[in-house]
Amino acid sequence: MSGDHIHPEPTSFLSKYVFSHDHKVIAKQFMWFGLIWLGIGGIMAMMIRWQLANPGMPVPAIGEFLFPRTNGVLDPATYNTLFTMHGTIMIFLGLTPLMIGAFGNWCIPLMIGARDMIFPLLNMLSFWTVFVGGCVGFYSLFVPMGANEAGWTSYATLSTTVGAQGLGETLWAVAVFLIGASSIMGGINYMTTIIRLRAPGMTWGKLPLTVWALFLTSVLNVLFIPVIGSAMILLFLDRAVGTSFFTPASLMQGGGGGDPILYQHLFWIFGHPEVYILILPAWGFVCDLLSFFARKPAFGYRASVGAMTAVTVLSAVVYGHHMFTTGLSPMLGESFMLLTMIISVPAEILFFNWLHTLWKGNLRLEVPMLWAIGVIFVFGLGGLTGIYLATIGTDIFLHDTYFVVGHFHLTMAASALFGTFGALTFWFPKMFGRRMNQTLGKIHFWGTIVPLTFVFCLMFAMGYAGMPRRYFDHTSAEWLADLQHMNKMATHAAFLLGAVQLVFVYNFIKSRFWGPVAEENPWEVGTLDWSMPTPVPYYNFKEIPTVHTGPHEFSHPALGEDRDWIPMTEKLPT
Amino acid sequence: MHRLQTLLLPRLKSCAALLALIGLTGVARAQEAAETVNRWGLGEPASDYGYRFTDLFWLITILVGVSFVLVLILIAIPVIRDRARPGHKASFDHGSSLHDKQVTTVISVITFLVLDAWVLVIAMQDLREAYWAYPDGDDEGVYEVQVLAQQWSWNFRAAGADGEFGTADDILSNSELVVPVGRPVSFQMTSKDVIHALFLPEMRMKKDVNPGDLNKAWFQANRSGDFTILCAELCGFAHYQMHGKLTVLEQDTFNEWEQEASKLALAAFDSEDTESQWAWDWEQ
Amino acid sequence: MRRPTLYVLLTACVAIAALSSFRGDEIVSEPSLAAEASLAPEEVEASSDEQAEVANDEPRHFRAPHNVNLFITEDDAVRAPGEDWFEQQAELFPGRYSYDESLADGEGGWVDKDGKYELRYDEEEEEAFYWRVLTKEELTIGRQDYVQFCASCHGFEGDGYGRSAQHLRPGPRNFQRAMFKFSKVTQALPSDEALKTLIRNGLDGTPMLAWDLSDQQLDGIIQYIKTLSEPETGWRDLFTEIGDVVEVGENPWVGKESEAVTAGEKVYHKNDCYACHPGYLAPPDLAALREAPEGTTFRDNLSYPAIKDSDYTVLDHQLKILPPDFTWHQLRAGTTPLDLFKTIAAGIKGAAMPQWKGAFPDEDIWAVAYYVHHLVTEYKDQPAKRSAFMNALRRDQ
Repeated sequence: MSGDHIHPEPTSFLSKYVFSHDHKVIAKQFMWFGLIWLGIGGIMAMMIRWQLANPGMPVPAIGEFLFPRTNGVLDPATYNTLFTMHGTIMIFLGLTPLMIGAFGNWCIPLMIGARDMIFPLLNMLSFWTVFVGGCVGFYSLFVPMGANEAGWTSYATLSTTVGAQGLGETLWAVAVFLIGASSIMGGINYMTTIIRLRAPGMTWGKLPLTVWALFLTSVLNVLFIPVIGSAMILLFLDRAVGTSFFTPASLMQGGGGGDPILYQHLFWIFGHPEVYILILPAWGFVCDLLSFFARKPAFGYRASVGAMTAVTVLSAVVYGHHMFTTGLSPMLGESFMLLTMIISVPAEILFFNWLHTLWKGNLRLEVPMLWAIGVIFVFGLGGLTGIYLATIGTDIFLHDTYFVVGHFHLTMAASALFGTFGALTFWFPKMFGRRMNQTLGKIHFWGTIVPLTFVFCLMFAMGYAGMPRRYFDHTSAEWLADLQHMNKMATHAAFLLGAVQLVFVYNFIKSRFWGPVAEENPWEVGTLDWSMPTPVPYYNFKEIPTVHTGPHEFSHPALGEDRDWIPMTEKLPT
Repeated sequence: MHRLQTLLLPRLKSCAALLALIGLTGVARAQEAAETVNRWGLGEPASDYGYRFTDLFWLITILVGVSFVLVLILIAIPVIRDRARPGHKASFDHGSSLHDKQVTTVISVITFLVLDAWVLVIAMQDLREAYWAYPDGDDEGVYEVQVLAQQWSWNFRAAGADGEFGTADDILSNSELVVPVGRPVSFQMTSKDVIHALFLPEMRMKKDVNPGDLNKAWFQANRSGDFTILCAELCGFAHYQMHGKLTVLEQDTFNEWEQEASKLALAAFDSEDTESQWAWDWEQ
Repeated sequence: MRRPTLYVLLTACVAIAALSSFRGDEIVSEPSLAAEASLAPEEVEASSDEQAEVANDEPRHFRAPHNVNLFITEDDAVRAPGEDWFEQQAELFPGRYSYDESLADGEGGWVDKDGKYELRYDEEEEEAFYWRVLTKEELTIGRQDYVQFCASCHGFEGDGYGRSAQHLRPGPRNFQRAMFKFSKVTQALPSDEALKTLIRNGLDGTPMLAWDLSDQQLDGIIQYIKTLSEPETGWRDLFTEIGDVVEVGENPWVGKESEAVTAGEKVYHKNDCYACHPGYLAPPDLAALREAPEGTTFRDNLSYPAIKDSDYTVLDHQLKILPPDFTWHQLRAGTTPLDLFKTIAAGIKGAAMPQWKGAFPDEDIWAVAYYVHHLVTEYKDQPAKRSAFMNALRRDQ
């Protein structure tokens, strides 16, 4: 379709590596960007854990340097800043760029047989917008009175001038707005590309499930990011201009008056789909990776697509479950409870399909496969514990306790992260032409999944014991002081978890520059991206390929004994 | 192993010292741990409806636990049995036959009924019979409390001996609340500044306290004693310090307490200080 | 490459706009109806017209300000402690302070090598005073910490009427008045150390919590707070005396605590403490203790505290304070005998409680401290026990 003209490859450094329009370069930009932020967010998490286990003790190693005014000790305001920015950074600047920015860009054109995104300029702008957003967010850490302290949800009126006077909160709103704008640009681009640029023969029923998932994520992005965008504009106006969208009349000096609950509605209308924005790509990776490494077709392809679509639709109508204690009317509360529970049906279908894909396969337990199975494990834990929180009867007690923290870290953080690691290790040979070290990869996997499960399962126990989240020091309240031993345990495990990530950093950097050269199709997979030479040439396909078979035709009886896979461009022997 | 030996042997002394140090720290730690009480679970509920949370929690835990173990088994079997090896071939199954679709549907329906519908029905009952069954204002015996939350403290106001809000004998308190046992305690709450949440963990009660809006909540204590009041919604940097004490008294003691508290409130009342009189009419 | 550059510039502009719109140097002040309750329709008694008028004329606080000043643009100086303090410091930090005989018109004075403190000669009064010099940078940091940690109650301008202070009793301190109830010093103003201790410990039973702040943060905040006093008052008054926490001599009652309680009961009731606080003896017993002539009557409701006027105002209303009933009310500044000794000895500024140090021998103050401690531990928060005790006092009434 768009194959009629091919631009010459750019030559200058700026146009080739910085302001490149090439989706592969942009994917790598997103990847490095996301990984750096993931590291920053991770360090913040370590500091949070340190404070919780050792309240009032100076943060070792970096404390003196970061907080000179308190001799390295975290003060309560800085602590609030840390967990706020940890959440914001991990969601908006870590996982979103990695999963959607990097792998959306990498996978979509290569997997559907396109030469580039349909709007290459928009694609580039998408990266540079998130980059500016990231810079604004980073800058906000250093303004007087510090960055946002109102939690990543930034509920009004704590986030309006009633609760926060510093510039940090305003900059936070600007940063989130910019990052959201970037996501919308990406979403529009991905959707249009998938709709318009599929290679001949690449029907909707032959799309790899990764692409399906990214498509649905893009739909959510385009539909719901504008909601948070509008909330951020209103918050910005409230803070900078003196309007009162989220400040009730009783708190306004010169008349006017809005509603703080309005902010919660706006935030969660976006906030809940955001969870699926992060988890859908991971599901897509898992669907594909399980099939690729079990050497078996993805079980129930249509059911999986249907389930993911159902989740996409349902995610829009369940947001109220974040507000069960806000004072929702009983009717609304019960409706949201029912709708939330319905989501478990498509999720369960996906689980069923994944487990069935593994069943009677020929499992190659390579690193990407381990991560994919890891996603089933952590998402199983996280998803199932969602039932406690969807049920108002239990949510009344568990709301805003560590139970919630454990739950969402397992569902949206750990699952998304595991999916990302799976994808990183899987596409690494194609992206950089080198192989990662398998042993280090396996150490990283086991070193991550064990402490991670321990930490977050411990948080379920903390939540059940009544420990509220976002507390600077749990020992200050007598009733919570006797839970401190759990905090200490969680911190030890979290430090282990953090330390193991260094293995990944080492493996990733070393393999990127000095790793052994990879074969062109090391995993023996038939999708179009693996039919490409390494490194992938500018403009990908000299000739747009024609697709004949589906992405998951492994171990087809007609294939004979010498290989169990077939490229999508080949016809199945009859 | 050899390398380890060459590494460690010359440093035997320092290794021993290190081990001793670790051991000593361990002993010190153990002693420290023995002195503090470590809690794992949640004590008995102190409110009439509190058992509902615990019951439902453990019901869900059993359901979820069984499902999760099933998932684990279904992962473990193929991982152990179907590992790639020479001569082993995966079965070829797209899972798109009518039979597969029927199985998927049946399992989904069963899971929904067992995991969700069951819990849903119980939760609906709990809400209607307990959490959202607010006591009627006309009922005799309802102990009404007005809550004015602020950064970072709870202001409570009870009607006092005359049962009317906004009178001189209103019992005012800061972060300390005294209520009777066996009578419904009904809250109407609002905030001066940001959103707070009144969290009475032993009562299994939690409700946000929003500025510019009245929220309500209730509980009925089933035993006397001292309990905890916490704030559960991030309300600024001293959020963690916004705790208080809930004292539940036996009915007789409480009556006497209420009389005395009202008298002391009268003694402290300054009719000209209108700014301090923040009560509102109890909304039905 | 023009388009992307332009684009990056544009987005940067948005960020800068956000930044600049916030750095207002002026505090926007508009009249606000401060006395209006946040729940206007449900308010029981509307403020009297007169009061509403006053509030209208003098805006006292900002509920949702959108332009709070975070930067101090001028250096400032506040009163430092006197000669004695410098003598102590000179011993503590050898080399930092030196005595110069030529200073202050030949009277001599201490010189601070760091330049933090200065001896300035006042022409009008013809006397030299020590000042703490505060740079605008120091004050700006103090101001920002103040806005962050203190302003929600104490107000953005330190007038003691912040957003969260509405309807609050006891009200937060008005720093423009520079008067502190529980500083535990006998002089007019507390030293930095005394203030730090106060902030660190908080005031029990009030929203003044025990703040987890570092020394540096506290120092910044305290210096800033001092600059809030109105001209010629507080730390800007030349003759202000700044004192440390009241001197605690040797505790004469160590090992004989129960005797202290008995002695304290006598001191308490012989010296009219029950004029404000409750009397904890039945009238006949009290009369017997005081060897009062027959027929002596004591005030009505002897077993209840009597409300007193104070020097504190909220929205120009003179507040009244109820002295605590030790068996009932939460004491603000500690309940150990030591804390109580300090509080009783220093008195409570602005309230009816005078300074007792000097008026009584320390031994008696200690005894009363033990007695109050006894009342608190025995009866407070033990409703059944307390009511039996109090009913016994009231049996004849």
